Amino acid sequence: MKKWLRHDSWRHIIAIFVCLFALFPLYLVVISSFASSGSLQLTSFIPREISFKNYRLLFNDPTIPYLSWVQNSLIIAGSVAVLSVIIGSASAFAFSRLKFKGRKQGIQLLLLVQMFPAILAISALYVIMERVYSFAPSIGLGTRAGLLLVYLGGAMGVNIWLLKGFVDSIPAELDEAAKIDGASEVQTFWLIFVPLAAPVLAVVSLLSFIGTFNEFILARLFLVDMESRTVAVGLQQFIGGQYSQNWGPFAAGSILASIPIVIIFLSLQKYIVSGLTAGSVKG
Amino acid sequence: MTYLIRGKVALLLKIIIVGLASAILLMLAQSAFAQREYVISAFLALTILALVLTYLTKISIPLKFFIPGILLLIAFVIGPILYTVAMSGFNYKTGNIISKEEAIVQVKIRGIEADPAGTSFDIKLGTYDGKEAILISDIANLKYFISTADSRISVAANDVTLNEYGVGITAPNFTTLNDAQMASADKSYTKIKFQYEGEYFIALEGFDAGIVTRQVLEYLPATDEFRNLVNGSVYRDNGRGNYALVDDQTAILEPGWRAPIWFENYSKIITDPRVREPLVRVFIWTVAFAFLTVFTTFALGLLLALALNRPIFGRRIYRSILVLPYAMPSVMSILIWGGMFNTEFGAINTLFGSDIAWFSDPNFARVAVILVNLWLGFPYFYLISSGSLQAIPSELLEAAAIDGANPRQIFRKVTLPLLLQILSPLLIASFAFNFNNFNLIYLLTGGGPRNELDGEIAGATDILISYTYKIAFGTGTQDLGLASAISLIIFVLVASISLYSLKKSKVLETFG
Repeated sequence: MKKWLRHDSWRHIIAIFVCLFALFPLYLVVISSFASSGSLQLTSFIPREISFKNYRLLFNDPTIPYLSWVQNSLIIAGSVAVLSVIIGSASAFAFSRLKFKGRKQGIQLLLLVQMFPAILAISALYVIMERVYSFAPSIGLGTRAGLLLVYLGGAMGVNIWLLKGFVDSIPAELDEAAKIDGASEVQTFWLIFVPLAAPVLAVVSLLSFIGTFNEFILARLFLVDMESRTVAVGLQQFIGGQYSQNWGPFAAGSILASIPIVIIFLSLQKYIVSGLTAGSVKG
Repeated sequence: MTYLIRGKVALLLKIIIVGLASAILLMLAQSAFAQREYVISAFLALTILALVLTYLTKISIPLKFFIPGILLLIAFVIGPILYTVAMSGFNYKTGNIISKEEAIVQVKIRGIEADPAGTSFDIKLGTYDGKEAILISDIANLKYFISTADSRISVAANDVTLNEYGVGITAPNFTTLNDAQMASADKSYTKIKFQYEGEYFIALEGFDAGIVTRQVLEYLPATDEFRNLVNGSVYRDNGRGNYALVDDQTAILEPGWRAPIWFENYSKIITDPRVREPLVRVFIWTVAFAFLTVFTTFALGLLLALALNRPIFGRRIYRSILVLPYAMPSVMSILIWGGMFNTEFGAINTLFGSDIAWFSDPNFARVAVILVNLWLGFPYFYLISSGSLQAIPSELLEAAAIDGANPRQIFRKVTLPLLLQILSPLLIASFAFNFNNFNLIYLLTGGGPRNELDGEIAGATDILISYTYKIAFGTGTQDLGLASAISLIIFVLVASISLYSLKKSKVLETFG
């Protein structure tokens, strides 16, 4: 015990101190979600009451379409996660394995394009989607389908780049063997590469899922209807504007929406460290 | 599974999918063409061609892999980038949003004035001889007439049935519009100039009243100018998206149109102090913010990594708590922090017994922004640093210890330099990311506080990207042209930083 104090005490002091810093806001949200007052005040560290009012409100109040927000977020983020990885891995495979003219220039262009943050083109995207709306109201501005397309396009650059890095690291012997056995490139991709890379494809798609789930400003600008909003945009409305600082349901809604993301994230921790995602900082 | 990608089933499946996609795209291309969106229509047509050629012929195998990704990239990344480049060369802001043809129509509609007496009548919409007409009741003089675009027919007072207000509702040969027709009347009736007297006509003011007006501005297509019919002054295209008075260029007709002004949005950034000064201030804060964020998050992350670099009691628990801020969806954490900094009820002031108006004072707001970003970002660098610490060969550290270096010297002379070398690409990436950390600023402070009095939209915590967003979508004048120009400058800055870092980390050498 004494040795513990002498050698490691500073380590514990730092760790405990930072843990408190990390936990404080989270603890505050949890107790606010169970308080009936609807504020984010720190009245006491130990909650005096446990009320499920806020959680009930989310599911029963017809003016709060929480479930459709969650549904929208899951559908949009889920589709982006699956589609962007399928489409992205095909391009990554081609960049990494196939020989063709202009490959080097293609990679350089991709490198540049994937650095372009979608938010910089936000005015252009807005104007373009407004024009699309004029002839195809079902996929233009204000629709979930339109937002999905914009996300999908935006995820392409980074995903192809990440996946290309990964494909490069898989030894080419396996698909060369497949080629000798008479498999075409397309067959090699689906029958050899995809099963082999499945775990990594899953990781990249989960990261896309989290990234899309977390996206705020495009969703805010594109989706106007209450019903068609995503969780991030919908919850923000509780505390900015029309519900006037309604922290109770915000806290409850945030906790419910965060739990799956936190679980996915914690399970992906080792990949984040391993450098698969080197250079991609979570937003 | 195999039969799905080879043989007859696969071929059939392929034809069905490509056919279906082409049919949908063709439909879209047609309606885009009908709406005169020729560029989008052409892109969609080329998309169909690309899909059919790639998947139904053997033109190129790599393209089979690339086409979906390339098309998406062109449509939603490269297209918008090029569009941004184009917009940055235009005078494209509130008042100059529409095309020139639309602007001419609008100027004509607005170029009218009421007669000096301000005469107005009660009216009823209907048809006369199958043409759009209005039944006008001059209640004061008990006179009634029907007016169409090209004639005016007086009606005797006893031929008209009146409602309780004395307004004529029916007249011979005049058919009043029913409710369904009223609903769609907005488009046609509001554009018609109903005959009155001489140059004066009646313009609708809603569906129940008409005002005696005359056209003041006349468009002369041959010379592309507007002439004031009353005083004869002439307005010409000023080359910047407006018709301006020949003798006084500041007198312009509203609305204008989006017109090419080439590099003026860029030169404005340098020459116009009203654009330059806030931009320079915002730029300095952006760099300071990104730098301080990287520095603080890395320092705290590294400190933790060093503290937990030994298998001390409870390390796993510490570790799972410490990554929680990183795992939480950041939109929600930022909003929660926003509530915690509230002056009256916020948990921060309650906890420290202070009374700080965090978001009203520029410096406190900046501290809050950095602090929140520290909370959001330190777990990333903790994870990365502890991974990298393990990667430093222990022989090096032992050798230094044998040479008589104390732990502090070992850290400063061996561990830190090695770590910085390993992590420099990630530090630069984090800098580039925070340079554009829009969500944090927008959701935490909204860029504020700002000086409301001088009308400046840039706030103390605004970074370039949030400032650009305000320029494009803010509450005052929305200037898409200037916002696009600034966006492109930001892109060049960030891309240079990232390319420099990649070059340093030698990724570029592995091409080929």
